[in-house]
Amino acid sequence: MAFALEIDGLSKVYGTLRAVDAFSLCVAQGTIFGLLGPNGAGKTTLIRMLTTLLRPSAGSARIEGHDILSSARTVRSLIGVVPQDNNLDRYLTCRENLVLHARMYAMAPTEYNRRIDELLELIGLTGRQHDFPDTFSGGMQRRLVVARALVHAPRVLFLDEPTTGLDPQSRRAVWDYVQSLTPQMTIFLTTHYMDEADALCERIVIMDHGRALVDGTAAELKERLAHAHTYELEFRSDGERYEKILRGLPFVRNLQRTGNSFRLALAGEEFLKPLMDRIGGDDIRKICLKEPSLEDVFIELTGREVRE
Amino acid sequence: MFRGAIAIFWRDLLVLRRSLFSELLAVIAYPLTLYLAFGIGLRGYIADVDGVPYALFIAPGLISMTAVSAAFNDSAWSVWFHRRVQRTIEEYRVTPITVYDIVIGKIFSGFAQGTLKGLAVALVIFILTPFRFPPAHLLAYLLFIFLGSMVFSCVGTICGTMIDKPENIGRVEAVVIVPLIFMSGIFFPLSSYPKAAFAAISLLPTTAIFEGARQALLNGKLAPLSIAILLVTAVIAFAAATFTFNRKMSE
Repeated sequence: MAFALEIDGLSKVYGTLRAVDAFSLCVAQGTIFGLLGPNGAGKTTLIRMLTTLLRPSAGSARIEGHDILSSARTVRSLIGVVPQDNNLDRYLTCRENLVLHARMYAMAPTEYNRRIDELLELIGLTGRQHDFPDTFSGGMQRRLVVARALVHAPRVLFLDEPTTGLDPQSRRAVWDYVQSLTPQMTIFLTTHYMDEADALCERIVIMDHGRALVDGTAAELKERLAHAHTYELEFRSDGERYEKILRGLPFVRNLQRTGNSFRLALAGEEFLKPLMDRIGGDDIRKICLKEPSLEDVFIELTGREVRE
Repeated sequence: MFRGAIAIFWRDLLVLRRSLFSELLAVIAYPLTLYLAFGIGLRGYIADVDGVPYALFIAPGLISMTAVSAAFNDSAWSVWFHRRVQRTIEEYRVTPITVYDIVIGKIFSGFAQGTLKGLAVALVIFILTPFRFPPAHLLAYLLFIFLGSMVFSCVGTICGTMIDKPENIGRVEAVVIVPLIFMSGIFFPLSSYPKAAFAAISLLPTTAIFEGARQALLNGKLAPLSIAILLVTAVIAFAAATFTFNRKMSE
């Protein structure tokens, strides 16, 4: 299998903080790869190293076979980057932003004008090409940033939280567009949205504290929690009384209550009958087994506490 | 080679072209006011300086001052704005151009804007006032404008690179740039200084710009010491600007 990215023990250390800690990974060409993690997990630091903006403290990485340190310029000619912020030039029109980018890649006017026309058509901004980005909505600016990263037809596209702050329609538009880019292009995506990773990514790594915690497809990651036996229980009344009962059961874990509804995990499948025996059936409105979501996997691995 | 610098230079000139009229109007107002206030207002009190009518004495310095101030301001604010506000420098840095392309592009933009604005002020002073000079002296004068704008563009780039808070750029300008400009003989002859201060003031690059430019425009003289000081300063400032920018980017 040919790899677009090969990361070997990459680390970035700031004083005593290990932002990225001996991170290793290979991403196959033409796939959409998703990197998930809470704030401060090290995702952006990793992307900044891979896009040659930041020098690693240790380790190495290759993009399409080119070392990010010794062949940084070649690497930059092969990648496209969509950063977290819309860093468009507000003093240039939509089209001029794309032209400036093309000139950085020494593209000839005949080549870049054709390519820019195609991209503007694709992102639906042909009619606004002579307007300034400040007059665009957040979704339109985001689409323009994505288009800018594609002017030179990169082999690997880095998307750092590409849909943050977008409305559902704009998010879907970006998703559709990203999906249309493969398999000609390899996509390296970071996101906070679990549904985004679930819908787009063929492979996902969840990282925290600079290290990879799990690696697999969305289905494989959810399967890891299949043993958790999470149930949803709803009572007609007496929520407080049932909470006391449930908290007293030694095989009940991770109990969460909202009114008369509960979410809980059992220590094993065999504890379902003892549970039902204890709570009886008179007040139960609903009981169901909850399939684990990618978000459950994420929370299970990275914890519930809010990060700075 | 330098395709990134050329692309950035193209971008800055494109933006300048859009706001050329308002930019020139703003940049002409200040030196023209000074010229009218000092050149005409003080005409009755100061007859001439070393045989040169006072209005004629200050005109070359005002033009040079406009050029170097514009070069400093454009470079400092442009680098700061692209680095801290728009973050477009980060977009430049993920393309195959080098850090040197970025800094050279910005320095040349500042230099070009300084030269252009200096010439605009010269034209207005020439049209509105009796200030005249032999056309053959213009080339020598432009050499000083060129070198002066280059030096101040580099200094501006260093400030825009190192300073994170915008108000501090204004403070550097008030505490360093303005005194350097005003102490260097725009409004009075250097012979006014005490002997001990004269030696130090003579070696300032700003003195080399203003005094050298005046001698070039009014007398057609190319002062070798002034040119040497400016050349050395330009090389040092350019090296310092590229080094500072490169270092900042690698942080």
